[in-house]
Amino acid sequence: MSDVNLIILLSTISTGLILGSIFALVAVGVTIVYGSIWMPNAANGQFFVLAALLGWTMTVSWGIHPAIAALLVIGISVPLSYALEYVLVRRFYDVPNRNISYFVLSLGITQILTGIFSFTYGRWSDQFQLPPLVGGITFVGPLPVANNRLVVLALALAILASLFALLRYHRYGRAIRAVFQNRDAAALRGVNVKASYSLSFALGNAVIFAGGILFALAYSFDLTVAWTMSITAFAIMIIGGPGSVLGALIVGMVFGFTQAAVSTVASPTIAAFSYLGAMLLILLFKPSGLFAR
Amino acid sequence: MKDILLDVKAVSKRFGGVAALKGIDLIQHRGETLGMIGPNGSGKTTFVNVISGHTKPNAGSVSFDGHSLSGSNPFQIAKSGLTRTYQAVRVFGELTVRENVATALVDARDAASPDAVAEIADWLRISHRFDARAGSLTLMEQRQVELLMRLVQKPKLMMLDEPVGGLSSAEVRIMIGVLSELKGRCTIFVIEHTMKVIRELADKVVVLMAGEKLAEGPPAQILSDQRVIDQYLGTADA
Amino acid sequence: MTTVAETKDPSPRSIGHGLPLACFAAVAFATPFLLSGNRYLAFVAGVTMIHILWASGMNLLYGYTGLMPLMFAGLAGISAYMVVGLTAAGWSFWLALPVGALAASIAGTILGLPSLRLKGFYFTLCSLVIQTVVTLAFVYFSGLTNGDTGISQIPLPSFAGTPLSGLAYDLVLAASAVIGVVILMVIVQSTLGRRLIAIREDDELAGMLGINVTGYKMIAFFIGSLFAGIGGALYAPYIGFISPRSFDVLISMNIWLMVAFGGRGTIWGPVIGAVLLAPLSFLLQEYYTVKDVLYGLLIIVVIVAMPGGIAGGFKRKRREAAAPVDVAASRRSVK
Repeated sequence: MSDVNLIILLSTISTGLILGSIFALVAVGVTIVYGSIWMPNAANGQFFVLAALLGWTMTVSWGIHPAIAALLVIGISVPLSYALEYVLVRRFYDVPNRNISYFVLSLGITQILTGIFSFTYGRWSDQFQLPPLVGGITFVGPLPVANNRLVVLALALAILASLFALLRYHRYGRAIRAVFQNRDAAALRGVNVKASYSLSFALGNAVIFAGGILFALAYSFDLTVAWTMSITAFAIMIIGGPGSVLGALIVGMVFGFTQAAVSTVASPTIAAFSYLGAMLLILLFKPSGLFAR
Repeated sequence: MKDILLDVKAVSKRFGGVAALKGIDLIQHRGETLGMIGPNGSGKTTFVNVISGHTKPNAGSVSFDGHSLSGSNPFQIAKSGLTRTYQAVRVFGELTVRENVATALVDARDAASPDAVAEIADWLRISHRFDARAGSLTLMEQRQVELLMRLVQKPKLMMLDEPVGGLSSAEVRIMIGVLSELKGRCTIFVIEHTMKVIRELADKVVVLMAGEKLAEGPPAQILSDQRVIDQYLGTADA
Repeated sequence: MTTVAETKDPSPRSIGHGLPLACFAAVAFATPFLLSGNRYLAFVAGVTMIHILWASGMNLLYGYTGLMPLMFAGLAGISAYMVVGLTAAGWSFWLALPVGALAASIAGTILGLPSLRLKGFYFTLCSLVIQTVVTLAFVYFSGLTNGDTGISQIPLPSFAGTPLSGLAYDLVLAASAVIGVVILMVIVQSTLGRRLIAIREDDELAGMLGINVTGYKMIAFFIGSLFAGIGGALYAPYIGFISPRSFDVLISMNIWLMVAFGGRGTIWGPVIGAVLLAPLSFLLQEYYTVKDVLYGLLIIVVIVAMPGGIAGGFKRKRREAAAPVDVAASRRSVK
């Protein structure tokens, strides 16, 4: 294999890994929220970009170190989630078929945030770039990779792993999963359902925020990322199976690699067409997804 | 009495690995009231769902009034004169009774004339509620509306899934009266837990047990059948 | 007693009396003359007319049939691009319009097919995906659509050899809005309307009563998409510019909001919704971000506080989407 081909291959793999882990993060965040409170959050892409923009403001405008900014951004998501949960989300907990109400609600939030972003951060075409977490370059075989991106990848994988462990082994995680499976049965077993709802909402959004800030640290971005991310996360959730964390993880990684590979050989639009096509097929023929719980 | 209305041959239905119906054969003649009993989960509602086209059977055939129903959609089956009610009462709750009835008339096989509608409504004692929202009616009234919506379509066969479920004992008595008069208007197939209903209405009783036909015969004979008593009546509301 | 078969009105809330229609028609046709001194305001009124047509089509689907198709604007776009392409190729606008509208209708009927399998949220999500694909396609097939740049300087159509004046075209738009409302009224009061309402309320029960649910859902999509298509065809030469953004998901949401905010399942609610909301986009053009925020807030208000819309009043807490159970739930209950 020639060096050029090897470099293309390696760069596709590294891009695929980084994108895949970020897609997986966002999709896991979305699926945690959907699995627990039945809220298909179409505003996930806006949350993602909100995190990225907050990170940009902190680092570029205020000169805060990117690592601290990242922690602050994720920290901010918690009170924001609780406020949103208290004001809006909570009202629908006992409504039958609340997923469609939630879906429309989140489209409303999408539109509000879209307006706020273009008001405060300018037009759609503006590019935003954050300072790197660390400098330097490492050679992976013949391919030079920025250390910054390697750190982002490591962080994303670490968050995914700890999330997985949390949901599987920790008391809180088990409570959330119990509610996933059956709200009434969980209540009978002494799980505080309402508290676990707000916890999952906050946790899911924190994960989405983490995805947003990590993405911003690895790549420059513009405001159009929001809608693409929303649709991609939904596609991943539907294909992986709504509420399935494992499904979101696997399909998220697959999507990352697909995006990287297809973008190398064709255009990102083709990649988007292929996800959306896959999502339509799954919706029509196996709406419970590939990794149904 | 030799005129066969409903002819079910070897109907089977599986849900995943669970067999809900195992080769059911059944014949109902025109004018004959057939009662079906069986414990919860024995496949009674699945049976009605298969006949009315809501569930596709895995095997077997159903013919109604001489025509095969295989592959027909629920609306086509309904148009051929086979109608049903649901275990949980089902009306268009947001619409008035009048609108409910009008909806039933739109695609009826043989829509009743306005006078006939009025006559049926009077007979069911529901005329005074015509302008009420169906969802605001009592359960008994909703059951009456349900019957009204079926009858204005002049069905040949009406399948009733637990028609007295949830009613008070006084209402049950009234409903039994209504149903026994209903026999003069169309042929009836009735699923019921309440033995009183079966005893007073049915000409023939079929006992379903874990998806299989356990016994079949006149009510007096079935309700004294030792197997039925052991398997079912002993544990139910005999 | 009054007999059942004689009563025509499917629901007291949707009765279309002649008087409001006469008032509406009078206002619609008078507005272009009254505003003829101010081209800008006349233009805003014209755009509102197109939105009344769109909202009526969306109302047929969302308000009366219980489906929430978020690809509505995409369908309008299909027609708009077709009409612009055909007229650029030398066709008469008046021939291109029905062709484009019919194309949107056929596309809408086909893209509506998933509604036969998917209910509630799942169909809405599916329609959102379709809308996104359609928008991407508008961008991607730039040979036909000029991509993100869009097509500008679309001329107003001519009639009998002379280009229409702004006033004449305003009257065409007013006529289309009035005709759209009249058609919706006729449908709603016909047996077709009764069938669609039955499907909205409980499609399984509707089928049991002999109603061909599949067939009538497709008819609803055909007619609703026709409204979208005619609106799209009229929109392009009026604004003079179209781009994928003219027909994207936000536009679909806005049209949905006009119906939901005004009052789904009533004739006049969505008309009021369109009259209140459509001008905002233009009056707030300088502050377009304010418009986004305002629309977003209104969506939330509708969902949280006024499911019946203005026409339904604030008090009646009907569950959003009397829409039937979604697939996942109904699958569960089968077992």
